[in-house]
Amino acid sequence: MNFEPTISLDKIDDVPDSSPLVNRYSQICLKHDGDQLLLVLPTQAEINSDLPWSETWQELKHLLQTKEQSWQVGTKVCLIAKDRLLDARQLQTIAETLNEVKLSLETISTNRRQTAVAAATSGYSVQQTSLSEPLNPESSEIDSPSLVLAEPLYIQSTVRSGVEIRHPGTVVICGDLNPGGKAIAAGDIFVWGRLRGIAHAGAQGNRQCRIAALQMEFTQLRIADAVARPPKLRPRRLSPELAFVTIEGIRLVKTLDFAKTYIFSSSKEAWVDKNEAK
Amino acid sequence: MSRIIVVTSGKGGVGKTTTTSNLGAALAKQNRSVALIDADFGLRNLDLLLGLEERVVYTAIDVLAGECRLAQALVKDKRLKGLVLLPAAQNRNKESVQPEQMKKLANALAKGYDYIIIDCPAGIELGFRNAISAAEEALIVTTPEVAAVRDADRVIGLLEAEGVNKIGLIVNRVKPLMVEENKMMSVEDVLELLGVPLIGVVPDDEKVIVATNRGEPLVLGEYDSVPALAYSNIARRLEGEKVPFLDLMANQGNILSRLRRMFGG
Ligand SMILES: Nc1ncnc2c1ncn2[C@@H]1O[C@H](COP(=O)(O)OP(=O)(O)O)[C@@H](O)[C@H]1O
Ligand SMILES: [Mg+2]
Repeated sequence: MNFEPTISLDKIDDVPDSSPLVNRYSQICLKHDGDQLLLVLPTQAEINSDLPWSETWQELKHLLQTKEQSWQVGTKVCLIAKDRLLDARQLQTIAETLNEVKLSLETISTNRRQTAVAAATSGYSVQQTSLSEPLNPESSEIDSPSLVLAEPLYIQSTVRSGVEIRHPGTVVICGDLNPGGKAIAAGDIFVWGRLRGIAHAGAQGNRQCRIAALQMEFTQLRIADAVARPPKLRPRRLSPELAFVTIEGIRLVKTLDFAKTYIFSSSKEAWVDKNEAK
Repeated sequence: MSRIIVVTSGKGGVGKTTTTSNLGAALAKQNRSVALIDADFGLRNLDLLLGLEERVVYTAIDVLAGECRLAQALVKDKRLKGLVLLPAAQNRNKESVQPEQMKKLANALAKGYDYIIIDCPAGIELGFRNAISAAEEALIVTTPEVAAVRDADRVIGLLEAEGVNKIGLIVNRVKPLMVEENKMMSVEDVLELLGVPLIGVVPDDEKVIVATNRGEPLVLGEYDSVPALAYSNIARRLEGEKVPFLDLMANQGNILSRLRRMFGG
């Protein structure tokens, strides 16, 4: 029998990305841990393809530029490199990049011998971890989809075309989400500006999550497994709107009316009209 | 203090090279010294647009390889005092240059010229990284088309991530008639999406193509052509002057639609 490669067009469009949701968070992440900061790199497996080093570095730069700088000058950083192979030059690039935002790289946590050697030679303190044990109690929640959401990610700039924000918690964007830009959150998404790109809330399957924006001009909205596209003609609304999942799918209402009118029904896994719920 | 400015867009064919050559000429005409760097290795054509092609002897690559001195590689424009070009090699591939080397060239030129303007290749790969590596400021060129604006947006994001925050926007090839008929994005639409300050609006005009083919920057020709005026206005705004934008829409539509435009309707 002849197996022809098939390129199927049918309906693919209507199914949200079927890749495991965990992989959506294969992004560099920066988090507080006592008086130090943890810089967590995705594992080799999480960056499904061989993402070139330059991409990882760009992402780091971008993260540091857009993240609200909620640290003290000179805060120490522990790099959780997991199974990533890093040479002395790459470690130096990371250190320099951190330096630019007044952070200082102190410790490298890794389970690769080569990375450990490079780190030690460059004068960093090294924590070598074995592959099986969790690298760090803090970082384990990133490794497994957990019900506990990470602290909200606050982005203080416009998310431009080509940028994808992934976060295992709620995302707040203080700016626009432009066409070609994407925000994927395990929690809610709030855009304090125009939402013109793609937003996916509740990306780990939580249908209770919501998406709100001062102005909804989205390319696509997704909440858990539901997808919504804008109708061909949608008059510009002047008031902020909020999107949520009802039994019929994603619905948009004026943000002001939402809390008054809707309540989440766990049995139906959807928001229902308060009056009808009784 | 000299200024190192990269002219970039993401998308190809939107007018980066046209902007670089005309802006360089306009600044030189306003008595500034200007060095233009062609960073589009492999596809050079800034020399063509400036009409300097047959005078190119050495290129940036030769300078980097130590085969000639920087001053030897610079091609002087005889028509405009103060305007020089550092040509790109046409035969070498882009990988033969590194961001650090571009930085060296630009910084060396910055010692002798008021403006260093870098003509960036299309795309966002190594050629782009080379071109922006030395830049302190950027001019984003876009046409009022969805795809061009999308790419411009992406490039602005990359520039911001690199710490290049002084960004000016040039909307090129605007067709007032099409805007009026709602068939083309307006300058306002573009501005609203990109959210960076506007520094120039250039109409779509066949005089631009004629000048390109002749290898003669517009400001050298008849001064009163609209695109020539648009470029010298950009040069003046770069110099810090407040110059009102040309009302390209002035001849379009009736009184009512013009009023609506004025009041942002
Ligand atoms: N304002 C304009 N009006 C008409 N033609 C233009 C205008 N700007 C650029 N062009 C034409 O568009 C083409 C591409 O321009 P170019 O500057 O080479 O783009 P890029 O450097 O971005 O690839 C050229 O043929 C040029 O003459
Ligand atoms: Mg060009």
